[in-house]
Amino acid sequence: MFSLKSKPYSLFKILLFIGFAYFFWLMLKITLEYIPIQKNVSFLMIKQTEVEERQEYLYFFYAHVYSSIFVLLSGFFAIIRRNFGIKNFHKINGKIYVFLLLLLAAPSGIYMGVFANGGLWSQISFVILGVLWWYSTFKAFLLIRDKQFKKHQQWMWRSYALALSAIMLRLWKIIIVYLFAPPPMDVYQIVAWLGWIPNLILIEFLIYKKIL
Amino acid sequence: MKNTLFTIVAVSITFTISCKKEEKIMSVDNNDSIQTVQEVAPKPELNQELYGLYTGEFNGKMNTTGDYDSDYYDGVEYKKITLKINKITNDSVYGHSIVNGNQRPFRGIFNENAKSFVLDEPGNDQTDGRFEVHIKGDSMYGSWAAYNKSAVKSGKKELKLVKKEFVYNPNFMLDENSDLIDWSNPKEFKERYTTEDGKENSYTVEKNRIASDAVFKLNASKQKLSEKDLKNLRKLDMEIIKNAVYARHGYSFKKETFRHFFQQTDWYIPISPDVENELSPLEKENVVLLNRFIKYAEDKYDQFGR
Repeated sequence: MFSLKSKPYSLFKILLFIGFAYFFWLMLKITLEYIPIQKNVSFLMIKQTEVEERQEYLYFFYAHVYSSIFVLLSGFFAIIRRNFGIKNFHKINGKIYVFLLLLLAAPSGIYMGVFANGGLWSQISFVILGVLWWYSTFKAFLLIRDKQFKKHQQWMWRSYALALSAIMLRLWKIIIVYLFAPPPMDVYQIVAWLGWIPNLILIEFLIYKKIL
Repeated sequence: MKNTLFTIVAVSITFTISCKKEEKIMSVDNNDSIQTVQEVAPKPELNQELYGLYTGEFNGKMNTTGDYDSDYYDGVEYKKITLKINKITNDSVYGHSIVNGNQRPFRGIFNENAKSFVLDEPGNDQTDGRFEVHIKGDSMYGSWAAYNKSAVKSGKKELKLVKKEFVYNPNFMLDENSDLIDWSNPKEFKERYTTEDGKENSYTVEKNRIASDAVFKLNASKQKLSEKDLKNLRKLDMEIIKNAVYARHGYSFKKETFRHFFQQTDWYIPISPDVENELSPLEKENVVLLNRFIKYAEDKYDQFGR
């Protein structure tokens, strides 16, 4: 494959690696709050209306929680396009990313987006995010089957930029709460959009500038 | 709400501080008499018109220098106290005092001519002391002196009490002119600035939490609260909405924060350190919901997460 040969690690890449490891660790800790499966733990503490009124909610919720952590990790390994001496490492991670995302993480995300906290504006944001996430990943998947590497790469960057909204949303939340301490759902409405739109704009800019 | 959000924040920045829920003490002896004296025939009860609750100010001059013998003082402590007279006989008076969630029995004597009481708390608690009060109309005036003056912030306090009937009324709410700032839990922040000659300096400011007007609107004693009602509230709002339920039942708060809010009303009479059993089924349900949301706010509001 065209760019999987070993290059020396740049400082930027090392920092990226450490940064990702840190935030992945935080996300993993959040995921571990949901083991074992419980009806009213953590985020579900304020979601009992949906849990009680919609039998399917918990299934979607846990499908999202458990699949997304693997999506986040496999996506990272795939996007850095290194094999680390393991045969087909990129390809394996890419497959895990695509299938978990298309079948579980994105559809369940869209479902939960419909019932998102923060009212209509955050619901719209999360549904659009979910749909774009699924579409960009599907598109990238079709492109690689067609051996269009460059386009596959660009669409995967879009896809992963949207995946990183999970981290960015939570990061923005801390910053906004620290600075302004608004009521919780006001924060939520803001970060629902702030979590993915800047990411996507950055990626589009990099693609436009032919950096990616 | 959203429009006012940044204004509120700018005016008095509020941060949620870890502050555990007002704890309820379950094991307080409600028996008012210090010792049950075995008597063959019950003594006739006198002056029964004086029985009841006297509630009001309990203010003392504080001396923070540690020199308790001098008359010097550098602060005044404001508290609310309730005295309950349960029984008066020709040689004894029985009742209890309640302040800051601490209920203490007392026993003493009543001087019929002077209409005055001398009431002694048992003395096995650091904050015990002697009340010397007299009745004037439906008011009670007098003073209290700690047995152990060095164990309390102010060893001598003035009482100004009014006789009141305690009634539970689910309609009671915080007064809309209330001061909504929680002065008891300031959070320190470092602010940095650069002086003219380019030096970096910093100073600390204390910021207090402030409740929103939701505390005037949501009544957990009357309406079934839903998750939707609570989702956009900060922790302090929910704590006040919850503790308003307890205040209506006369719970004597141990936490300064809640004493501050409810002592501003004219209806709040602290009568008991434990009112858990008085709560209506609706109130109990709402308290469970509020506790869950308060915990969520405490655990998650300023953390990495949703």
